[in-house]
Amino acid sequence: MDKISIPIGPHHPLLKEPLSMRIDIAGERVLGGTLRLGYVHRGIEKMATQRTYVQDVHLIERICGICSHVHTTTFCLAVEKLLGIEVPPRGQYIRAMMCELERVHSHLLWLGILAKHVGLETVFMHAWHDRELALDIMEGVSGGRVSHAANQIGGVRFDLSPEQVAMIKENVEKLKAQVSGVLDVIENEPALRARTQGVAPVSADLIRDYCVVGPVARASGIDVDLRRDDPWPPYDQLDVNVITRPEGDAWARTLIRALETRESLRLCEILLSQMPVGPVTVRAPRKVPEGEVVTRSEAPRGEVLYYLRSDGSDKPARLKVRTPTLAVLSLLPEQLSKIHVADIPVVLAGIDLCIACADR
Amino acid sequence: MIRGLFYLLIFPGLAFQVVCGFAFEWIDRKLLARFQRRIGPPWYQPLADLIKLFSKEDLLPLGAYDFVDLMLPLISLSAVLTAGLYIPIARFTPFSFEGDLIVIQFLMSVPTLAYYLAGIASVGIYSILGGGRSLLQYFSYEVPLLITISGPAVMAGSWSVAEISSSQLTMGPFIIFQPLGFILAVVGLIGKLKRDPLDIPSASSEVVGGSLTEFSGAKLGFWHLVMNVQAVVGIFLLVNLYMGWSNLTFPFAAILVFLVECLLMVLILSGASAVFARLRIDQLAGLGWRILVPLALLQLGFVILMGV
Repeated sequence: MDKISIPIGPHHPLLKEPLSMRIDIAGERVLGGTLRLGYVHRGIEKMATQRTYVQDVHLIERICGICSHVHTTTFCLAVEKLLGIEVPPRGQYIRAMMCELERVHSHLLWLGILAKHVGLETVFMHAWHDRELALDIMEGVSGGRVSHAANQIGGVRFDLSPEQVAMIKENVEKLKAQVSGVLDVIENEPALRARTQGVAPVSADLIRDYCVVGPVARASGIDVDLRRDDPWPPYDQLDVNVITRPEGDAWARTLIRALETRESLRLCEILLSQMPVGPVTVRAPRKVPEGEVVTRSEAPRGEVLYYLRSDGSDKPARLKVRTPTLAVLSLLPEQLSKIHVADIPVVLAGIDLCIACADR
Repeated sequence: MIRGLFYLLIFPGLAFQVVCGFAFEWIDRKLLARFQRRIGPPWYQPLADLIKLFSKEDLLPLGAYDFVDLMLPLISLSAVLTAGLYIPIARFTPFSFEGDLIVIQFLMSVPTLAYYLAGIASVGIYSILGGGRSLLQYFSYEVPLLITISGPAVMAGSWSVAEISSSQLTMGPFIIFQPLGFILAVVGLIGKLKRDPLDIPSASSEVVGGSLTEFSGAKLGFWHLVMNVQAVVGIFLLVNLYMGWSNLTFPFAAILVFLVECLLMVLILSGASAVFARLRIDQLAGLGWRILVPLALLQLGFVILMGV
């Protein structure tokens, strides 16, 4: 059969963010593909060096529309490390709670997209409906559904009132019930399993070669999670269950994300029940002493790394952001061979792309 | 003459089928929305969509066959409308004759072939992919569907839908004797209508819009009309073949029962699209030839043995 090349992107119903692929196919078989990136490059790393640290927190919030909080958290951790200040325990707990809620809403969003790509629109609608519960919490405590503006250098910008804590507990309880329903669908729905099981499996060796992190690595049996391996407080006081699967296929990635959602909800409840009292923030000086620092956090998609160099002024001399999506994207051409055309959406959805993160 | 025109244009022809098509689309969308925790569109939405499409600019890529692309949906529409004329609607059959079941099957296949040609004639890369997929799908569902619907014909000893339908008055509805056949026929119908979960030729995340990717304006509007009328005709056909209660002697009751049965069919179709994930084309071919065909033959053999 003749080889033809089909474009996927920059505009395609499959993609929520611009990415360009040319995929060679013969009939319904995929032969290979090439990737082109950079459609949402905004030069944020350069912009960050032209703004003060205080302004940078708001700039960095806009790197990603899904995991915005973990970006600002990692940046603030870097600046706080250079300043040598310590965030009060209550501030740390609120930060961690927002991180976990973000993971819940990111994973549910992703699950909906995967379901839509395999033609299971009902699960898409239900997952996004449940996701609203997590967004409601975040909007209730911070005022923003997507960009929460929760972090500032030295702590968080808001405190939780007892009514808010009750609201969070109620919504987390509802979410737990919904997530167990979703888990039931993933484990037992035969058509979903037929579409995802055994699709483009990735071996642990390949994952190590490409430095892939996060749920994709864990789905191939690599036991890595920064919340346990390199924790910042309060994660060092929490007992995080790291979930791994040996299969490495799209179904294992689906299951892992659903199980992680449940784990995040459990952590949320622990954080809420153990939350200390006291201030949520300390005052931070405008100018940051000279030095360089690296901080890492576990974002919903894997490790986020910030490198920050200060020259002693109130603006960073250099900021480097490494997001998990870029590593996963490099693995994409490896996966786009020996599959069916109908598997392309499953492979693409399975790695949970965040192009805005990758391009910055 | 006047009566003939009335049959063709008003009832059970053009106007009736198109109105039923709108009703089907609305009920289907509303049901699906309720399954998915949405509210769903108001009753006039299908009509509003069609009017909007007809008022839109009609664009085709350079090199597409404009005339062919206009004729394909029109030919498909006339084929499914003609098929609809031969199917009894609550006992009313102006044009029935022996062997019309085969004619209906032939006419119902015309949109699939036209869909494939539309993919070729509109020269888009996704259109060609979608067109190829629609043929692959056709070969997967059509054979089991044909074997299955010959079950009621064999049982009634006639190839006329009206005969099959009315013979159920004395023998009892065929869904009781052929439950397996009914399920297979529904699967075949879903494949024929290219509906979720067998919307492989038009899966948006894979081939954008399938054969109709490049269509816009009135031509796309006609295609939507074809899909809806085809669904209505398919539902009428299955109700007549398997649920013969509509042939009650009391005419008003016949209409009511027929309506309820049709709504039940819509519920089955909407439920299937809400519950199942889309299959891959190779999985569908495997399902069609390895599972559906043997089951259909089993059902047919059972029917023949029962008749002996």
